[in-house]
Amino acid sequence: MIRYIIRRLLLFIPTLIVISLLAFIISVNAPGDPLDIVLNSSSNNSEAGISLSSNQLILKDYWRKKLGLDLPLFYLGIKSFAEPDTIYKVFDKEERYALERLINMYGNWDDIQKYYLSINTLLYQLNTLNTDSINFKTDLTNARYAVSSLKTSYDDIIILNSIEKINQFVHSYPQLLASIIPQFEDLKSNYSSIKTNSTKWKNFMPSIAFHGLHNQYHKWLFGDESTNSKGLIRGDFGTSYITKQPVSEIIYKRLGWTFFFSFTSIVLAYLISIPIGIKAAAHKGKLFDRISSVLLFMLFSMPIFWMATLLLMTFANPDVFKIFKASGVRPLEGFSSNMSLWDKITISIPYLVLPTICYTYSSLAFIARSMRVSMVETLSLDFIRTAHAKGLSEYFVIYKHALRNSLFPIINLFATLFPAIISGSIILESIFSIPGMGTETIAAIEAKNYPMIVAIFTLTGILTLTGFLISDLLFKLTDSRIDLEK
Amino acid sequence: MKSPETLIIDSIGNNKSFRWRDFKRNKPAYISIYILAILLFIAILAPLISNQQPLYFKYKGHHFFPAFSLQNTYQIIDVKDGTSETLQLDVTDWKHIHCEHILFSPIPYSPGFKDYENSNYVSPFDKQEFIDSDNKTISMPVRFRHWLGTNKTGEDVLAGIIYGTRISLFIGIFSMMIASIIGLFLGSIAGYFGNNALKTTRGGFWTIIIGIFFAFYYAVLLRIFALEDSLAMSSLSFCLQVFQSILIFIFVLIIFNYLGKLIGILFFLNKTFHIPIDTFVTKTIEILISLPSILLIITIAAISKRSITNVAIIIGLTSWTFIARQVRSEILKIRELEYIAAAKSMGFSSFRILFLHALPNAIAPALVTIAFGIAAAIIAESSLSFLNIGVPLDSVSWGRLLAEGREQFSAWWLVIFPGLCIFVTVTIFNLVGEGIQDAFNFRKA
Repeated sequence: MIRYIIRRLLLFIPTLIVISLLAFIISVNAPGDPLDIVLNSSSNNSEAGISLSSNQLILKDYWRKKLGLDLPLFYLGIKSFAEPDTIYKVFDKEERYALERLINMYGNWDDIQKYYLSINTLLYQLNTLNTDSINFKTDLTNARYAVSSLKTSYDDIIILNSIEKINQFVHSYPQLLASIIPQFEDLKSNYSSIKTNSTKWKNFMPSIAFHGLHNQYHKWLFGDESTNSKGLIRGDFGTSYITKQPVSEIIYKRLGWTFFFSFTSIVLAYLISIPIGIKAAAHKGKLFDRISSVLLFMLFSMPIFWMATLLLMTFANPDVFKIFKASGVRPLEGFSSNMSLWDKITISIPYLVLPTICYTYSSLAFIARSMRVSMVETLSLDFIRTAHAKGLSEYFVIYKHALRNSLFPIINLFATLFPAIISGSIILESIFSIPGMGTETIAAIEAKNYPMIVAIFTLTGILTLTGFLISDLLFKLTDSRIDLEK
Repeated sequence: MKSPETLIIDSIGNNKSFRWRDFKRNKPAYISIYILAILLFIAILAPLISNQQPLYFKYKGHHFFPAFSLQNTYQIIDVKDGTSETLQLDVTDWKHIHCEHILFSPIPYSPGFKDYENSNYVSPFDKQEFIDSDNKTISMPVRFRHWLGTNKTGEDVLAGIIYGTRISLFIGIFSMMIASIIGLFLGSIAGYFGNNALKTTRGGFWTIIIGIFFAFYYAVLLRIFALEDSLAMSSLSFCLQVFQSILIFIFVLIIFNYLGKLIGILFFLNKTFHIPIDTFVTKTIEILISLPSILLIITIAAISKRSITNVAIIIGLTSWTFIARQVRSEILKIRELEYIAAAKSMGFSSFRILFLHALPNAIAPALVTIAFGIAAAIIAESSLSFLNIGVPLDSVSWGRLLAEGREQFSAWWLVIFPGLCIFVTVTIFNLVGEGIQDAFNFRKA
């Protein structure tokens, strides 16, 4: 038995690695620059790249280093022969995208690199220019904008258009910009040489870039001494982009309520549904069976958010019945310090009833329906007929003989119930504003807080796998015929 | 005359096969099929049932069909005095126009149309207001009534519900089409070949693995920008590009397959290699089901572009596992049957036996899973709309209407009616699924 559990636990590892990889791929491929989320600077496109103060740039650099965003993504990457190994060193996501597209179109990295560097030099020179003339100032700002837009554009027409704009600017102030003209001519010739020297064939040759252990995924998994992170393996999920707190700390705070509701609802669902299932099966075809079947089927098809909204509308609405509270798990002002535990519980109950009903009802319907089916099947078996023939009472036959045999499928349901409750919690907690994992999930997804999302994925994976394991073990406990070692 | 193969199938399939007669006996399921037909009818004809533009309209002797027309602007020349007028369909105030004849659709509102006189949550039973042609406020004529009330901006709820039918059914059916293609294919090859039946040489296997790498490179990585651009353009051009990518993928794989056969002749690479396809598929399913699908759907939908088609694709790609498992276990039973042995003895190729003889008998049981899957997909979509994740900001769906109702509990009609629609549709698909299941005699209950 213990050997079996250890083997199963070891099998968690590859699954979790794949899940973390999946979460990692999702978060890396998401649009937008993570640094913008970290710095909470809504990317102002009109000013991007120009008026970023040196202070902000330093801050950006600091967070990039701290979060390891300056490293390649993975141990290796598939790329075309035309693409350089080190393109990840272009930090800005939009610039990198533009470069990748240029490579995809023309395939000559050397020329593209020269072109890119000449844009940067030109931009630098324009940024160092200083003047008092207002006319010149507005033109200069426009020119800076045109040059920095070159960095993120890849379409031929748009690039030529921007170049033409800069051309007009440069030639309208020939004296002031004498130092810049050669640089601009250089840029123009570089761009035309990209087009004339295109080596498209290089794109048709795939190649693999090896980045070694010094990559984002490795650091994220195994930790990094320079930034003091312990890595996923040692329970460190990284730093939240929003609050800058360790993710594991936030999750630890949030897990309580989700666990409370999941376990209460599972226990309640089993306690209520099994008697209903037994009774319906024992009186098969009678009125109770028919009514309960229809009701359970309706409950089963009821979308969880509709149920929640209906309950809120009826029982937490000042116009109808104001019995329960609509949101939260305790009064906003919190408990006063001299309250006893009993007081705290009685105050909390109006907050907890509606969420618990919503958490419970769908699994309740599911279990009761399965219980009925399984019980009906068991009751039609021969040994039940024998028990009846022996003259045993109906109660004795059902509860002593049939019940234990019909419980196996119900216990197996535990494995499917657990993920269902977790997914239900995502929606329910956001409706009832319960400070649990579900609310955190939605918040993380909406704010694109990737370390949090990855952590949630991994944690949910662990919980689900544990659920599967527990259900297998329970199965073994109820039915000694089953040999888990096989 | 029947071919020998079908005769064999008939004889073995007597008690396990799906019988329409058994299905009909299950009254709720049978009625559900009819309700489903009505829903499909509403979904397809939504622009005719609920449209702010009239179906037919006669003005100065000219006939127009605004609801059907693709053209927006018309030049109208008066037959009598030759003066010309411009008619622009989308901005015309149809409810006040003077004309010879006008025929409105049953619900004369489009989902996005804002009725400013009746904005701010007008209930179905409230007095609704209408401004007549003399600019006087009168009570709403019965023809233009908002039968299910309005929302905050004065949009008709019934119109929204009718268009929501479209979205829900589209998501349900389209996502399950994707899921069944993947699930049927992977499930059937995993079940039929197991870990031992699919054989190749050692050299051939590794060549195919390298081939998959190359095929992925040429079909996806090299064309990623073309795919992206076409997605921004239109979904039709995206489909064409995806089709092109699939063709390239298959083409590259075929080339590497032949290359692998050549390499497999070499002396140390010619050992037989059993492709563990069953392990591969079951492990993939295991990993996917260890993440709740709604978590995966919400996350991917949140980071990808807001679009209904995207949502359907995401739901389809995450929910094929149940179909694959069902088909796999079904094929495992079928492959032991005598008619498969007979087909083998007739020398058919294994892919022909699998896809022409074994799979058709596994599809009907898979229908049960597919019906439940459609119900789950509809719930997933309305959850996404309810949370406003992944669906376009201007889309009108049941979940979205419900979310509006959640902000204003006094507007009970925004909660009851859309919720009822989701509930009925989900129940229908669940009932149909159960009906098929019972018709198979899967359960004795």
